[in-house]
Amino acid sequence: MSYLSISHVTKQFGNTVVVDDFNLEIEKGEFVSFLGPSGCGKTTTLRMVAGFEIPTSGKILLDGADITDKAPNQRNVGMIFQSYALFPNMTVAQNIAFGLSVRKESREMITQRVDEMINLINLEKHATKYPYQLSGGQQQRVSLARALAIHPQVLLLDEPLSALDAKIRVSLRAEIRAIQKKLGITAIFVTHDQEEALSISDRIVVMNVGVMEQVGTPFEVYNFPTTVFSANFVGSLNNASAEVVNPASGFISIDGVQFESAVDLTQRKSGDKVRVAIRPERLSFASEQKKANVVDATIENITFLGSVVRIRVKIGGTKFNMDTFNNPFLDLPKIGAVEQITCSREAVLVLDE
Amino acid sequence: MKSSQTSDPQLSNVTVGGASRPPRLNFGHWLGVIPFFVFSGLFLIAPTLILAYRSLEGANGGLTLENYQQLVSDTVISAYAMSIKISLTTAILGGLIGFLIAWVVSMGGLPPRFRLITTTFSGVAANFAGVPLASAYVFTLGRVGLVTALFKMFGVELYKNGFSLYSFLGLILVYLYFQIPLMVLTILPALDGLKREWREAAENLGATPVQYWSRVAFPVLMPSILGTMILLFGNSFGAHATAYALTGGLFNLATLLIGQQISGDVLHNPGLGYAVAMGMVIIMAFSILIYSILQRRSERWLK
Repeated sequence: MSYLSISHVTKQFGNTVVVDDFNLEIEKGEFVSFLGPSGCGKTTTLRMVAGFEIPTSGKILLDGADITDKAPNQRNVGMIFQSYALFPNMTVAQNIAFGLSVRKESREMITQRVDEMINLINLEKHATKYPYQLSGGQQQRVSLARALAIHPQVLLLDEPLSALDAKIRVSLRAEIRAIQKKLGITAIFVTHDQEEALSISDRIVVMNVGVMEQVGTPFEVYNFPTTVFSANFVGSLNNASAEVVNPASGFISIDGVQFESAVDLTQRKSGDKVRVAIRPERLSFASEQKKANVVDATIENITFLGSVVRIRVKIGGTKFNMDTFNNPFLDLPKIGAVEQITCSREAVLVLDE
Repeated sequence: MKSSQTSDPQLSNVTVGGASRPPRLNFGHWLGVIPFFVFSGLFLIAPTLILAYRSLEGANGGLTLENYQQLVSDTVISAYAMSIKISLTTAILGGLIGFLIAWVVSMGGLPPRFRLITTTFSGVAANFAGVPLASAYVFTLGRVGLVTALFKMFGVELYKNGFSLYSFLGLILVYLYFQIPLMVLTILPALDGLKREWREAAENLGATPVQYWSRVAFPVLMPSILGTMILLFGNSFGAHATAYALTGGLFNLATLLIGQQISGDVLHNPGLGYAVAMGMVIIMAFSILIYSILQRRSERWLK
């Protein structure tokens, strides 16, 4: 049995179903991200695990114990909030000690644990400061230490990096992941930032309008999306309507231009409408050595994005983005030129329309 | 590190490359506040200076400390004591009752309409004082007032049971009419400033509601509560017209004493009146100073 089990959980507010039949098994020490746009139900699911919302139906089991209806202060879960939620009237050390203090731990134990936590987050020089004297990143680290001080069974992180600037966000997410691995704590991380989810998670749950779209490792979710939403939401993507030409050999047609896919199409018939998705970085200029899926494309636009150059091409009547790594000696085609573009069979994903 | 500069006058005082430039004095920006300075000068600073001068003026026109020496007389001390007693009582009672009302309005889960009604009424009631307020109370709780008559109909003789509108208790009741709404209006923003996440974080860490309120919410609110109570104290301490209209000047309050000394026929001693007023100015200034300190602290916490 898994460590945290969220089983057939549904949450309704009035007539609105916010989370619909959510099922997830999380192993001990696993780092799982809930990824989705605003209003997809990811935070509500997290709040149900924390006890701030009670599921309309379904069960939540933690280490075999049913915590579905338990009050938040009777669950041993730590939570980190987007707005840090540090108590403004307490110093860093007092904030970290709060959970232990309300649990009536001994003074010696509290002092020792607070010291451990302050060392863990590298804020030794700030122990006597108040939250308003700290930067956003420092406040969130204190929030992490406060949540971890009580030895929670699960750590819940509700968009903890959203309020921080880009540079701090990247460094803090690495720090959070390192601490989580070091302590071996089970963690659920809510985010709408796909890069964050991809970089930090063992598994990602892609959510949309209260429903789980896909669960998988970052590699699986990015490379093998199972739904149109998942494909569109995670990473940038070219997607186009297509028609199955030959199910046995995996041929499909986009605007009359034929592509070959490695996806098993044997369950479909010729003439079936499907949606094809190709990541921009999977397209490239065809080399001398011709591969599968070599098609003519008209260069429409070239955009310099720093490390990447995005080239807008038109294949048949459909426009695609093609990403290529930037280098100073890159020989870029002229706008309006017709070039041969290629991609592997595996790059051509076929999703339900 | 190199500093870059901006030529945009709008950005002239922003930090650029780690260095900050002091804002340039722009008289255009100050034009709008000139009416405020004129008003303050005419109706606050000038009267205070005149008051200070007059309080040092003897009966023969020369400067003297005689007026201040009279401040330790029994009459003046008892007037100050009574003013402080009434002000403290109404500040504490008004503060507590007002806080409870504000708490219900802010966190009681009542319909938003209730909040609108309460704040609108409070806005009116907090400014309803003086002769109209005293008259309203006389018509309701006076010897032949409406409420007194209603009680009488049900066999309760308020005045025979020791109640009097013209007593300490009566004055407290009248003052509470504007003290409670003032507390509601002033403390509501502070209550609204309590973040839901603080309560949730406390609960998540294992705290009970009592632990949350005693360790987080009340300590955070305390500067605002105390600051507002000091404001209520000052509000009551300086009230003159309500007490005068209600008691006809028979009550020994500092404000009434000033009136008697400055415009009274019998106890005419303007110098003493000005000195008593200066004493009140000092007490009020002290109250405002503490209020400002506490308010700054709570703003820092609630931002």
